[in-house]
Amino acid sequence: MSEPALNEDQRDALQEVANMAMGQAATRLSKLLGTFIELSVPRVKVVGVAEASETLRAMTGITETVTAVRQGFRSDIKGEAIVLCRSGSVGQLCALVNDPYTKSTYETTTQTELIFDVATVLMGACVSCIFDCLGRAPIFSPPGMLGMCMPLGDVFQPATLAWKTALLLEVNFALEDHSFRAHLVMLMAEESILHMNEALDALLSRL
Amino acid sequence: MNELRHVLSELVVERVGFGIFVLDRDLNVVMWNRFMQDHSGKTAEQVIGKPIFMSFPELPRVWLTRKVESVFQLGSFAFSSWEQRPYLFKFDHDRPITGGVDFMQQDCTFMPLTREREVMAVCVTISDVTHASMMQRARDEAVAKLQEYADRDGLTGIANRRYFELRLADEFARWQRYGGELSMLLFDLDHFKRINDEFGHLVGDTVLRVMAERVARGVRVQDVFGRFGGEEFALLLPCTGFSDAMIVAEKVRRAICETPIDVQGTRVPVTASFGGAQARKGLTSSYEALINEADAALYSAKRQGRNRSIGFV
Repeated sequence: MSEPALNEDQRDALQEVANMAMGQAATRLSKLLGTFIELSVPRVKVVGVAEASETLRAMTGITETVTAVRQGFRSDIKGEAIVLCRSGSVGQLCALVNDPYTKSTYETTTQTELIFDVATVLMGACVSCIFDCLGRAPIFSPPGMLGMCMPLGDVFQPATLAWKTALLLEVNFALEDHSFRAHLVMLMAEESILHMNEALDALLSRL
Repeated sequence: MNELRHVLSELVVERVGFGIFVLDRDLNVVMWNRFMQDHSGKTAEQVIGKPIFMSFPELPRVWLTRKVESVFQLGSFAFSSWEQRPYLFKFDHDRPITGGVDFMQQDCTFMPLTREREVMAVCVTISDVTHASMMQRARDEAVAKLQEYADRDGLTGIANRRYFELRLADEFARWQRYGGELSMLLFDLDHFKRINDEFGHLVGDTVLRVMAERVARGVRVQDVFGRFGGEEFALLLPCTGFSDAMIVAEKVRRAICETPIDVQGTRVPVTASFGGAQARKGLTSSYEALINEADAALYSAKRQGRNRSIGFV
């Protein structure tokens, strides 16, 4: 029995693709939001369902409750992106897109709408840039709230999940002043890992 | 063959059951399908080639501009859900008679139309989710009602034991953290079994209900009055010290015993015994301990001849 995974070349290629894509995403985000957004070097890992929660905890270092928004994306490679931050930092996260709204008393916006807006922007930029490098244009589904104030461990509940192995890609965002950090996790399960392998092989063969 | 496909695609866009329109970077309308025409009353000829705000000045300008701009800049999707923003356009919905909402509830998707990695235009789709939104609102209301029932005692309509203990636990935690005063009373109708035996269970139930109404009328808004089970009741008194709690106990006891309860022409005399306890720093370790102390005081009141209030000391 062989678990779907990446060989060493594919892994390096994906890391390279992700690095490049995050550079692009950071540029686009900074331009859109009018403030400098620093994206970390992405971390790529193949995880089993049982260790997903622990991996997420180790990568983010979060022990408090989180606010988490998910969004599906699909081409032949499909998966979900999750934006999460400490529940207490939601205000700072929203401030990224809040600027013109607060000045407008005529057009009111709820905090939930702002959370969706900022999460969609972050997920859209990162996922699109990665898919762009892989020569694909993903279709996104509407974002959904996983929880406003949930334990990090509840993001993945192994008993209810249908996948066994997933490719996990984590990036985190910081503002110039490092006042807070939000995390983006992209997850693609078994079949999509195989398509990812093909996409990476195609990329490697073109070099 | 290609031409046929092209014609069919156009027909699909024209006839499909949701709104489709396309905006360029300056928010000029480039395409406008039949759904948009039928619901807005504005034809493609009227809106195409002009900024959308010219045809629809009531649209949220800052919001919409930002949505579209984010799609152009990021090359990814943007969304809007009826749950946060009930509608973008003021469209009628197809339930003018049975519906309870003003305008068609809408989910919107903003899609990049890309050629060679450049976003050429943004396609906006509008789905009519009025029906789904009404179902969800109805469900939310039902859940809220169920939640309320789950907190209430079926016979008397006051808090049930589960809800009382929940509130007691909350108030106790608050008292532990912030200090102040916290008391509770437990009381029990005297010889209730005799009432049941002599007059029957229906009369017994009425006695409980009328007694609960009487007590509830005299309770302050911040107090919690609950049925602990059978003929036993509890009163949670936040920000209330021991002596004030015993004054409340006496007041409630008199309200119960002063007037016999009238059940279908039968006057049933009712008395109750009260036990009171106050949370004490360093002594009361848990809210359960507070209940136990009130219960011990109630037991003393019973032993000392009933129809009286005793405080735990």
